[in-house]
Amino acid sequence: MKTKGGKVLYFIVVVIFLIFTAGPFIWAFSVSVTPEFEMFKNTMSMLPSKLNWDNYVTLFTASSRQNKILFQGMFNSLKAVGITLLIGLPVALMSAYSLARLEFKGKKLIKNAILITMVIPVFATVIPLYRIFVSYQLLDKMFWLSLVYASSFLPMSIWLMINYFSTIPVEIEEAARVDGCGRIRTFFEILMPIAYPVVISSALIMFLSAWNQFQIPLILASSFQTKPVSIVTSEFMVKDSIQYGITAAAGLLAIVPPAATALILRKYLVSGMTRGTGK
Amino acid sequence: MKKKLLSVLLCTALIGTLAVGCGSDKKAEENKKEDAPKSDGKEITVMVPEWAVPSDEMLDAFTEESSINVVMNVVSWDDIRDKVAIAASGGAAAADVIEVDWSWVGEMNSAGWLEEIEMTDEDKADMPTLETFSIDGKVLAVPYANDYRIAYYNKEHFKQAGIEKAPETWDEVYDALKKIKDAGIVEYPYTMPMNADESATTSMMWMAYSRSGQVFNEDGTLNQDAVLDALTFEKKLVDEGFTDPALKTASGMDAYRKLTAGEASFMVGPTKFVGISSNEEECSVVGQIEAILLPGKDAASKKTMPLPEAVGVTKFSENKDAAKEFVKWYTSAETQKELYQANSSIPTRNSVLADLIDDGTIQNAGAMLDEAKLIQSPFPNGIPDYYSEMSNAIYNNVNKMVLGEASAQEAFDAMNKKVTELAGK
Amino acid sequence: MKKKHKGALGIALLLPIIIIMAVLVYYPIIKTFSYSLQKMKLTAPQDTGFVGLANYRSVLESDSFWYSLQNTLFLLVVVVLFTTVFGICVALMLNVDTKISGLLMAAAVLPWALPPVVNGIIWRFIFYPGYGFMNKLLIGLGVIDQPIEWMSHRFLLLFVVAVVVAWRSIPFTAIVCLAGLRAIPHEFYEAARIDGAGRWSSFRYITGPLMLPFIGIGITSASITAINIFDEIVALAGYSDLGKNLLIESYLTTFSFLDFGKGSALTYIIMLISAILGFFYLRNLTREVEY
Repeated sequence: MKTKGGKVLYFIVVVIFLIFTAGPFIWAFSVSVTPEFEMFKNTMSMLPSKLNWDNYVTLFTASSRQNKILFQGMFNSLKAVGITLLIGLPVALMSAYSLARLEFKGKKLIKNAILITMVIPVFATVIPLYRIFVSYQLLDKMFWLSLVYASSFLPMSIWLMINYFSTIPVEIEEAARVDGCGRIRTFFEILMPIAYPVVISSALIMFLSAWNQFQIPLILASSFQTKPVSIVTSEFMVKDSIQYGITAAAGLLAIVPPAATALILRKYLVSGMTRGTGK
Repeated sequence: MKKKLLSVLLCTALIGTLAVGCGSDKKAEENKKEDAPKSDGKEITVMVPEWAVPSDEMLDAFTEESSINVVMNVVSWDDIRDKVAIAASGGAAAADVIEVDWSWVGEMNSAGWLEEIEMTDEDKADMPTLETFSIDGKVLAVPYANDYRIAYYNKEHFKQAGIEKAPETWDEVYDALKKIKDAGIVEYPYTMPMNADESATTSMMWMAYSRSGQVFNEDGTLNQDAVLDALTFEKKLVDEGFTDPALKTASGMDAYRKLTAGEASFMVGPTKFVGISSNEEECSVVGQIEAILLPGKDAASKKTMPLPEAVGVTKFSENKDAAKEFVKWYTSAETQKELYQANSSIPTRNSVLADLIDDGTIQNAGAMLDEAKLIQSPFPNGIPDYYSEMSNAIYNNVNKMVLGEASAQEAFDAMNKKVTELAGK
Repeated sequence: MKKKHKGALGIALLLPIIIIMAVLVYYPIIKTFSYSLQKMKLTAPQDTGFVGLANYRSVLESDSFWYSLQNTLFLLVVVVLFTTVFGICVALMLNVDTKISGLLMAAAVLPWALPPVVNGIIWRFIFYPGYGFMNKLLIGLGVIDQPIEWMSHRFLLLFVVAVVVAWRSIPFTAIVCLAGLRAIPHEFYEAARIDGAGRWSSFRYITGPLMLPFIGIGITSASITAINIFDEIVALAGYSDLGKNLLIESYLTTFSFLDFGKGSALTYIIMLISAILGFFYLRNLTREVEY
């Protein structure tokens, strides 16, 4: 980037990138402050004739129904994310450690059987899953819903972790073990301090994926106490009562928690995927 | 140092996880135990869309009166059917009381998901839409929210084009629209759902019904004269530029909104636009819109099509009696009055509707009550159990026609082939 | 002796995942397969039973299956192309170290946080057939004088869907590629410079080849996303014939027409198509990169 031409090119790319990334969010915001009757009116003006904050006022008025629905939805999503992480991370670490560090029969088969499930569409499992949930009365229970989430994100996390572990020289651990460290102590005291970026990046990916879930909770959760925010948002837009303004406002509010988390942890996202101890 | 701290934190979190994971599960179960025996009576679950939820006060009053606890499961309208279907396929009840849209009643009956509900003759006379939910003389669900097609026109636009009288026939509507368009009062004076979704099916049906008094033959197949006439007329309105091209791919609701945005002068639409068109927040032309009788061929149409929503009791429910008691209460005259206050759902009992209009609760009603008396189902043998497949064929072909990919005749032939196949003729 | 112990530990550590996968993934897909071999139309509860491959035959004989397959394949190609090309561009941009690169990284991650449903709704506002944002913009710039009806032509509609989906899936590809870029040791470039290689040739001979496995991951992840597009199509075009892909077709058959048998057969066909891609995916995932 030392040349002038390079700088100009960089500048152009950055501007285009920002327009395409931020544009939809800005337009959604504009929709959220447009009065309902002005929505999609045949005019050329980009902005509404007057800013209408009613949708946000409604969503932030503690007594309104929309407020209760939206924030309960957010809370439900966070809870589901929390449980998913609590189940997902330990299971992923255990599995990845086993697959990356230990030798045993059938390892390759198990590994492939786990990884291939990434391609299975939701519809292929959802009807039988529902029936299992009915027969054991698990519907509308957060823990079991989150367990299903975890089952669909685990392959990705396990694969990321295997990759990361496999680039950390085994010799480091072996040296520690020679010094009399047990396997468990070695794991926590030697491996984890090196591998924490991949744990964080897996956690972040699980967070985002769990937050984005739609089809699974649609079938497995219908109570007020379990419905995630992705469903709640789409419910502002149904059959005869499409309220674009409030849908846009709710949609924008709903991405605040995952976006904030992603922003805070973004540097681990890359380092978690960059393999090994290289730098 | 920082790294070490981080890893220690992570490890603590990880070790704690399994314990917490199991713990949270236990807690959830404990909560359930606390909740359950709130009243010594029974508990039922009710799965309805957002607009059907009664207020907490109403529910409390019901619980007090009947000692039945009601748990509301608010689910978006589109998803209720999926849930009921999956549950029923496994022999389970998605809820004790469920939403039953008029278009679902046929399939739900054939699938055996609905429990018969006893209604008095008095109720039947007061609730014309009950007919839609009755198959072989059995009442399968009781309507709580009324919706039937009614016409709306913008008096101002008509006046500006020099028309003082409300249109009564489709020919008069056509002439008026032409005048309004030619005078440049609005660019697209007519609005109607044409997108490939359910609303295009019902639009085709009310068009045929109002123009010819018929949509289907006795054997359930499409009536060629009526449907082809409706399609031809619809295509004419589109081709002559009376409708906004955007409507070909915009939702039905967007189409209706053209009227309340002052961009269209005439439409046939849902009953609730009576309320919307006098609400300053949702309508920019308050005071200009009037509800009139559905136009017909030679005079105003003698029938209108009902599109009501009902509640029914599922066959797999373990609390059928309590569920039926809820349905009775929910569709009683008093509850309907309160429901209008709470959610502005239009009563299905004509007596309640008349009361609300008389005491001024429903304003700007226009022809609302007169039209309600003309409600009659266009399906000769009740809603068929293949309705959704039939509707899919109809709306996709209507949409193809308005997009210019098929003529009215071609669109008719394609939908007729599918409907005839479905009707098994 | 020691080795045996290690093996037992390996299996023990895998026990949780094996149980989770067996109960929540493998059992259900086997069950779905058994549905696909049965006549199971919910509106005809008496008329059920084993029918062998009849459901598969009836799916493969229907025109709408082949039509939806075409749409799925079109979406697959366009989404993968867009995601990969722009994902690499974004990665290259993020790899430049400037004052604003932190901000850019933040912006790049943002679309990832958007649930597909919400994504579809937001883009519906943009590609609204009348005076939505895109039409206003194009009219304002003088490119067109009448609003474009985005959803009324098959391939235009599919193209819009592909853009919308690519927009959401670019962040993942970009980050994977960025990780790939960062993993290339600096010494390689220095060595190349000493050998007198220009910027282009060092990109061509060092960056490109070393990035390939990472790009491969991006491509496979984009393919899986593309085959599983559902929410965005529904938000943009509903369940219309025009834009339906295999997943919509399967949803309609199963939930709208209540034909669980045929719907399950359709789902299985989709799974087989995904599995073919999954095969390449696995090969990519398990291949080691040597520097």
